[in-house]
Amino acid sequence: MADWEPRIVAFLCNWCSYGGADLAGVSRLQYPANIRIIRVPCSGRINPKFILAALRHGVDGVWVSGCHPGDCHYIEGNYYARRKFGLLKGLLEHMGIEPGRIQFSWISSAEATKFAETARTVVDRVKAIGPARHFIKRQAEVA
Amino acid sequence: MHAYTDKIREIARRLLSENRVDVVIGYRRGTVPFMNEPYLAKTPEQADRLHWDGFCGVNLANYLPRRTDRVGIVAKGCDSRNMVVQILENQIPRDHLYIIGAPCKGMLDRKKIAAELQGKEALTAEENDGKIQIQGKGFQVDLDRQAFLQENCAICIHRNPVIYDELAGDLVTEQMDVDRYADVRQVEAMTSEERWNHFDQLIHPCIRCYACRNACPQCYCPTCFVDESTPQWVGKTVDPTDTRTFHFLRAYHLAGRCTDCGACERACPVGIKVRQFTKKLEKDVLDLFGYEVGLSLEDRPPLDTFKPEDPESFIM
Amino acid sequence: MSEIFVDKDGLKKSIERLMEHCRVVGPVFRGQYHEFAQLKEVGELDLTYRNTRLSPKDLFHPHSDRMFTYTLAKDDPEAGILKEAPQDYSPRVVLGIRPCDARAFQLDDTNFVTEEFKDPWWVKRRESTTLVGLACNEPCGTCFCTTVGTGPFDEAGLDVLLVDVGDGYMARPVTEKGHRLLAEAGLTSPAPAEVKKKAEDLQKSAEQGMGKLFSVDAIAGQNSLELFNASFWDEVQFACINCGTCTFLCPTCWCFDIQDEVCGDKGDRLRLWDSCMFPLFTHHGSGHNPRSQKLQRVRQRFMHKLKYYQDKYHQGVACVGCGRCVQHCPVNIDIRQVAQLMSASCIC
Repeated sequence: MADWEPRIVAFLCNWCSYGGADLAGVSRLQYPANIRIIRVPCSGRINPKFILAALRHGVDGVWVSGCHPGDCHYIEGNYYARRKFGLLKGLLEHMGIEPGRIQFSWISSAEATKFAETARTVVDRVKAIGPARHFIKRQAEVA
Repeated sequence: MHAYTDKIREIARRLLSENRVDVVIGYRRGTVPFMNEPYLAKTPEQADRLHWDGFCGVNLANYLPRRTDRVGIVAKGCDSRNMVVQILENQIPRDHLYIIGAPCKGMLDRKKIAAELQGKEALTAEENDGKIQIQGKGFQVDLDRQAFLQENCAICIHRNPVIYDELAGDLVTEQMDVDRYADVRQVEAMTSEERWNHFDQLIHPCIRCYACRNACPQCYCPTCFVDESTPQWVGKTVDPTDTRTFHFLRAYHLAGRCTDCGACERACPVGIKVRQFTKKLEKDVLDLFGYEVGLSLEDRPPLDTFKPEDPESFIM
Repeated sequence: MSEIFVDKDGLKKSIERLMEHCRVVGPVFRGQYHEFAQLKEVGELDLTYRNTRLSPKDLFHPHSDRMFTYTLAKDDPEAGILKEAPQDYSPRVVLGIRPCDARAFQLDDTNFVTEEFKDPWWVKRRESTTLVGLACNEPCGTCFCTTVGTGPFDEAGLDVLLVDVGDGYMARPVTEKGHRLLAEAGLTSPAPAEVKKKAEDLQKSAEQGMGKLFSVDAIAGQNSLELFNASFWDEVQFACINCGTCTFLCPTCWCFDIQDEVCGDKGDRLRLWDSCMFPLFTHHGSGHNPRSQKLQRVRQRFMHKLKYYQDKYHQGVACVGCGRCVQHCPVNIDIRQVAQLMSASCIC
């Protein structure tokens, strides 16, 4: 297990967080390669089904990032997202997903450094928890 | 509460004969003990079949979404709150409804009663003066009503209808100092691994019949996520991960919409306590947004609105 | 047909012997209700039960069944080949099944074993299973087996019938398989006359209490189209919430769905229970749904069970009166009531 590298899916909103990630790349900032990015138009577009689908696929962590409240490109998408994410994280952890597997952040398109730092933090947290154990859909466990 | 039967019939007869409504939705006496059947009365004569007792646990609001006629409907506290949510979500216009409010002292749990009878079969059951009088082959037993309430009724704090056009009985005193979240806190005290196993065992008997979903007045999506196939979010077998996904996502879709009416638990043929998923969300909605479901026609549901100062301590 | 007698301890010992070389399945109390499960030790068996919550049809037709499987893993010599998923068809004895459920399997046979098609999974499971039934000395208030052509002591579909006579069981072999099983289990002491008389009396008292709730023949004699267009369906269907409870608990409901699931480089073809109560059941690929309305689906279920099955197979109704749907329908839709409406001489 010593060479296990976590796989982490990152849902980034196109206008802020994805821009931030892009700027981090252009600025040659180093951050762990464990992040697989999925670009969405807005953090408010994220459906809990996406996060569940990622967990079912066996990813070790899910990271969702959007614009800072007040700066959403679509004005209020991230406000709704904030409400949804709070409840979703609560229920997932209540059900037994280890705290630290699902993370949320606000990162603007100028915050390249913050992006790289957050990426490192997310990967470190997931590494500390270990490989995904639950909610993985493999071949159906049937009679 | 039996006096309600006469009053409900009288109101229904009046509404139908005065053409104030097209139909009245209530209950009629069941064909087996501890059950009543939801019934649609279309004429004043049919109104005489309406019935009320402590086994009226089915949530009649389930029959409202997308009805286009004028409906008289019997509503307990929880049912009326579901109607508020349905009105807020544009599933039924308020002016199509004539709500016959039924202040409720709690519905009885037939699964609890069956466990108490330990395999003996009840052939008749009557409620009288706070007692449930049960008779079977060669036995008779009287049970104390309070000890056999549905779990959600035992902790109910909205026994009176929150909206109504006419009452079928006097308002009852609401229960005070009720701990609504003891079971949630019990799970919150467990480690992640313990929680995972707890829910694994909880949903283990699930046969994916969807009685819980279909009994719920808030589950009215034309295509449920379970039936979506492009992409398919959840498998249809009894695989534990798929079953867990179903219950999780269904509960999540009820965030800020569930009134804890207990229809889901009541409907489950294998006795799963599915409210354990929705209770956590109810607690969080209250803690995070200060919102209780279905109390006001003025407030938008919590996921349909926001405040700039919403809690974000969970954000990195 | 020579009946034998075995006392309760003797039966336990015979079961233990059987368990040494074949799977023994019987009613076990788990959680809140009884279910048929493979016995790990004989003490688990509870023959004082009424009936199981779910019907034992999952012994032959499991809720979710892997039919075929494949892998694309490069190092696997069988990669790319769709294989039949391994199943356990070793000999199996199912103890304590109720006569209604055993009769139900015969009705299910009309679907799974036809002239043209014999469902291999069903057939192999049926062939490897010996059914030992337990007569109902005290039918439940919701049972109506005698109305639909079977009964609390009926032998249809069984290999052996056990009757609890108090201090032990009378066992009557019904088929060759049953004879062989009793011999194998060392159950050979002939039942004395008073045991046989006791069993007869028990049968009389069980059947007497039951009465006839409706006439199956009257439903058969109705005009299908008139029955289809009858006005009572509107009232019958109102309460239904279109869940799958009745169909999943019913021993004669056999409908299934086939789902293909792909997981990385592996895949399965799965068979699972489906329900005519679900809107998706008749949803065509074109988008058209001939039973998109609840009334159509509710009507279909009762017409299929009580009318179409009779018209097609002339074997009576596709209902064995086990009463599970009556007990567990979340909104108390009662098939006995519907059948009475369907058999009424005047269809209004």
